[in-house]
Order: sequence, then C-alpha cells, then structure tokens
Amino acid sequence: MTEDRQLVSRALRGDRRAYEMIVRKYEQPLTSYLSRMTGERETALDFAQEVFLKAYCSLASYRPAYKFSTWLFKIASNHVIDHWRKKKLPTVSIDQPLDEEDGPLTLQIPDQGPSVVRKLELAEIRERIERALEAVPETLRELFVLRHVNEFSYEEIADIKGLPVGTVKNRVFQAKELLRKRMEAA
Amino acid sequence: MTPCPRADSLYLYLEGELGPYDARKIEEHVECCAACREALEERRLLHQAFTSLPPFEVPKGFARSVMDSLPEPEARGRGWLAPLVAAAAGLAAGLAGFHLFTGTGISEVLVALNGFFGQAVAQAAPLAVKTFKLGGVLLKISRDLLTLGLEGLEAFSRVLGPQGIALVAGLTALLAVLAFFGARRFLHQGEGS
Repeated sequence: MTEDRQLVSRALRGDRRAYEMIVRKYEQPLTSYLSRMTGERETALDFAQEVFLKAYCSLASYRPAYKFSTWLFKIASNHVIDHWRKKKLPTVSIDQPLDEEDGPLTLQIPDQGPSVVRKLELAEIRERIERALEAVPETLRELFVLRHVNEFSYEEIADIKGLPVGTVKNRVFQAKELLRKRMEAA
Repeated sequence: MTPCPRADSLYLYLEGELGPYDARKIEEHVECCAACREALEERRLLHQAFTSLPPFEVPKGFARSVMDSLPEPEARGRGWLAPLVAAAAGLAAGLAGFHLFTGTGISEVLVALNGFFGQAVAQAAPLAVKTFKLGGVLLKISRDLLTLGLEGLEAFSRVLGPQGIALVAGLTALLAVLAFFGARRFLHQGEGS
C-alpha cells in the first residue's frame, strides 16, 4: 500500500516509469474483473486501457488515506456501469428482491442427498462457474467478482460500491447461491 | 441440537468471516446433522472453486500500449519557450500587417525599426551609465563614513579603558531613564492642563 502511495507520488511529479509500474501491478486484477463484467476479452482490454487513462488523468484527486486499489476499482466500476447504461442492459436494483425463474432464493438448507456439484471435479466446477457467471445479474456478479476473483474484503467492496457491508455480504451470498442453482440445473 | 444454520452463515464460516462463537456453533451442529454436513461440504467445494478461478491472461506489451496512450506530461523548464515563440510570431504578424496596409517593403520596415531601436539605445545608454556611476559614488561615501565612525568609536573606547566604558554606559542608561520619566511627566502635565 505504501509502495502504491510512493509510486503515485512519483507519477504526480512526472515520473512515467512509476505509473508504468502501477499499470504492471494492476493490469491482471483489473482485466480479470473487467473480463467477467463484460464477457468479452477485447472489450475488457479496451476498458482496462481506458480505466488506466482515467486514473492517470485524475491521479491528483487520489487521497493517500485510502487504498490505491480501492480507488482504481471504483473508477473501473463506474466505467462498467456507464457501459451498461449506454447498452441499456437491464440491471437489478440493489433493494429489489431476486425472484429467479427457478424460484426465489431460499436461505434455509433444503439439501437432500449428494448434489450435482459434489460429483464434479474442481476444474469442471470452475468451468461451469465461469459459464454460469454470465447469466448472473450484473450487480450481483460484480460483487462476487470483487470478492472472489479480486479478493477484496467485504469492507473494501462496500467502500468501492458505496454500499453497507451487510448489503454487500448478502449480495455476494445471493450471487453464490444463484451460481449453485444454475450449476445444478445445467 | 441447535437449529440448522442459514446457508449464508455456511459461506461466511468457510470464508473465516464468522466470530469464534458462531463458528463453533456451526461445527457442533454439523457433527450431528447429516443434511447440514452435506450442505457444508458442497459449499466448501464451491468455495474452493470460487477462490481459484483462473486469472485473465494479459497480452505481453499491454502495459506498454497503456503508457503510449497516456498524454505527455507538461515539460518542465520549457516555460520560457512558449512566450518567446508567441512574441516572435506576434512580431512577424505585425511586420506582415504593416507591409500589407502601408505597402512598405519589409526590409525598409526592418531598417526603420533598427534605426528606432538604435536611437533609443543611444539615448538611454549614457543615462544608465551616469546613474550607475552616481550610485557607485554614493555607496563609497556611505561606506567611508561608516568606517570613520567605527574607527572613532574604537579610539574613544581605547582612551577610556574598561572602567571608563562602564561609567559612560551607566551614565547613558541613567540619562535614558531620566529622559523617559521626564518625558512621561511632561506629557501628563500637558494632559492635565
């Protein structure tokens, strides 16, 4: 974190090499997030480039009291939301209860006997998750990706998205249960 | 037996997000509840998969292409260049305009300008030299006066000796005190009348 602050400080003094180090450090987590949010490799790379450009142009507004990664992903998240708005993709309100075609999500455990998931190999589960992820509503998918792909804490995600921590936890859980249900149905 | 935990608690348990008390409750419960044990194992497998999804493979040279797309930072130390270029461009435009409106050849304008500036310099230069000389003389006089004063003070202190200096300093201080209080009294009397 301190290293990020030092790099930002150097970049603000005109040291482009310092910003290149930031880009190299965050290119993979950022594209991993963006590829899952857009579903397209090329779009993810274009978006990553635009996010790094936006971050560079507004570097002076970065406050060292916050984590640089949180600040960068906030820019990325807003960029993705703009993309959804332009494409007019249906988004799920954060307060709207989720009623899926396969019934409302239940929080209790109704499992009876071994599930389909338990019969699969880990690699196959991962593949199925990637496929099922595309069908998860964007707002839930984003929180899931931030938590499990980018490994942000719930508090950091709450900061990135400007949501209460409890809401983030609940939405990540809903995303996981949706994924599980879709995998069972597949 | 405690009631079956909620599915969200199972995920939080697997992520290590539950406190020790709640975590222990789940562990105790799954020991005696087969359905919850099965549910926990399934979520454990899923959790393992969620946390090991493959990262995006970034093409080589991506960072370089990002850096190439960034705007150039404003070059420092070249701040003088822009006004100079602007001044030169302004002068050229002025000359061209003068030439267009009056029909005078640019070479003639340049000769006239040269004459004008030459005359101005010829008049201003002697004045600047005289001012400079006068400043030098004034500086020399003030320096000599200061040296003289300091030398006089040194000679006087040598004549007086240490006791004499102390006596003079004491008398000066006394005179200063008397002068101060005398002035105050004089002022108070002035106010009273």
